[in-house]
Amino acid sequence: MELFFFQLLNGLGLGVIYFLLSVGLTITFGLLNFVNFAHGAFYMVGAYVTFVIVSLTGNFWLALLIAPLVIGALAIALEQSVVKFSYVLEHKYQILVTLGVALMLQELVIMIWGPIGKNVSPPSSLAGIIEIGDFIYPKYRAFVITFSALIAIVVWWGLEKTKFGALVRAGSENAQMVGLLGVNITRLFSITFGLGGLLAGLAGVLAAPLRGADPFMGVEALGIAFIVVVIGGMGSFLGALVGGLVVGVMQSVMSSVWPEGASLMVYAAMAAVILSRPRGLFGRA
Amino acid sequence: MDRRKFLVTSTAAAAALSLPTLAKASGGIDIFGLKSVSGNFASYGKFANQGSEMAVEAAGSVIGKALNYRLLDSEGNAGKAVRKIKEAIEKDNARFFNGATLSSTGLAVGKEVANVGGVFTTPVGADEVTGSECNRSTFRWSTPTFGAVEQTLRPLLELDPSIKSAYTITPQYVFGEALLTNTKNVLADKGVEHVGNSYHSLSEKEFSGYITNAAAAKPDLLVLLNFGGQSSTSLRQAMNFGLKNKMKILVVWSAGLDQYKSLGSDILENVYLGAQYWHEVQNPGNARFVELCRNKYGVNPVYPMAGDYIGTKIIIDAIEKAGSDDPAAVISAMEGMTYEGLTGEETIRAFDHQAIKDYYLLKGKAKSAMSDEDNFVDVISSGKSFPDENASLCKMS
Repeated sequence: MELFFFQLLNGLGLGVIYFLLSVGLTITFGLLNFVNFAHGAFYMVGAYVTFVIVSLTGNFWLALLIAPLVIGALAIALEQSVVKFSYVLEHKYQILVTLGVALMLQELVIMIWGPIGKNVSPPSSLAGIIEIGDFIYPKYRAFVITFSALIAIVVWWGLEKTKFGALVRAGSENAQMVGLLGVNITRLFSITFGLGGLLAGLAGVLAAPLRGADPFMGVEALGIAFIVVVIGGMGSFLGALVGGLVVGVMQSVMSSVWPEGASLMVYAAMAAVILSRPRGLFGRA
Repeated sequence: MDRRKFLVTSTAAAAALSLPTLAKASGGIDIFGLKSVSGNFASYGKFANQGSEMAVEAAGSVIGKALNYRLLDSEGNAGKAVRKIKEAIEKDNARFFNGATLSSTGLAVGKEVANVGGVFTTPVGADEVTGSECNRSTFRWSTPTFGAVEQTLRPLLELDPSIKSAYTITPQYVFGEALLTNTKNVLADKGVEHVGNSYHSLSEKEFSGYITNAAAAKPDLLVLLNFGGQSSTSLRQAMNFGLKNKMKILVVWSAGLDQYKSLGSDILENVYLGAQYWHEVQNPGNARFVELCRNKYGVNPVYPMAGDYIGTKIIIDAIEKAGSDDPAAVISAMEGMTYEGLTGEETIRAFDHQAIKDYYLLKGKAKSAMSDEDNFVDVISSGKSFPDENASLCKMS
């Protein structure tokens, strides 16, 4: 029972990381109706920018501040130069375009830093563990949970309580109408795409001390992000949160209940949601 | 197209098509390197390719014939690897092969090469390669799971008698099962309690759940039986959870220098690691190889380089010993051949085609104790452990 409780707590921690990873993807899809296969690459580049900043300055907090902005700017640059031309195309072409971008970023990282992964240590103030009786939990993971929860609140507030959020939500309902009302929809799309990239980059920064930075981490992250988005529902903020928590808790608890099937059960959950609610738990009809 | 253009084009095409035949006719010997230079295992394949290239370049020629190295990209996929091997056999009359990253590829390719009586050397890990699936054409350099466990877990338990219990984390497929079985045998033999095991799938990326299981079992020793990226991630997460301060940790099958570089000394310090190869080991064969690698690439060699360098060199040495490039003669020369290897003097057993070589138990050093940027570990012990002929499942046809 005690072990089950540990795994539940650990799963919640995992879940908020997965939320952060997928919320950018779901926002991009919700507003732009755009399938972004480069999302995982933004996450990967975010981890590498963190590695560079921490290597040069030894300051993780600086990386936490700068790296997401760098990735956000990179996403906007890519949106302006490549991605925006595929908005009008079918999803399969968007996938091809963004997959190409992802592969280019991956190869660029290999050219600069080589195929071997890089280690990023957590900040010294967050090294070590929290011990409560028999329960142990890394301080850094506890920080990631708290910080991600804060980010979730900020993103929710930004989408629900600000003019920008209102425009994003209106744009996701009817972009043409919002444009006709005088809003620069092209710029709104660009900023939203950049925001999605920024959040993926932020997830990459937070993940770097947990799993290091390597050129192939984007692919695995993209897989998890899509599972979360499919379970939660494309375009739903709440869906990304609930989907992330479902996947994290299931993965962690199953590690004790049926370890060899832990990964399988995540896909089984996704299949069950697709069969019972094809648009996801909170997807719009 | 006018007549003159047609004649020029068709003559050029015919010349291009006949190039392989002409090369053959000129008396060169082609050695084909099967490497995953694209796909999921590209990082491994790149280094493996460099290893084979170095072996061929260093030799230059053998029995008076020029050596040619030709790359086949397996793309990290057994099906594609077999298709490319078949093409090379049919179109280029290929007979000498080295490489493969995955055990599944090594096993499948070994069968294809055996069908035409060729020669295939491989560093893949599955015990079956020189066990139940052995064949006349396939030779394996790396130590199988039995030796890896015997040369890491056993000396560690002897070194630290305070270890009374152990927990294992195992990838659930043939390779992981083999490591687990051998681990259980050693633990039982040494009277150490096996307090639990967590299986995980080959696609697993998140190990905190399994690490929590291990922490809850409170063992004296955590034994990681996974490899590559999975052993790196699970080790990193074990560190995150502070397990290094609560128990000893052993990674039975680590990938060597490239993995240690990616983990860094903060994580590796005081962790025990099993390895097929370590560049600092002192012997003439390794000294030559390290110098070759530093001269050509300016770095110390990593395991994929070493495995495919020596695998390719073995073929060249055997051709020289046989005095012929007839594959049957080369196979006979290779059986029982003793040579200066990368771990010291190594011998290829005739009955299963397994190279008898050292496996290492290493221990991670503190950053302050490192003498150079690659000096991540100390060698604690090394030795050769292989199932004897009676225990072997190899029945050579």
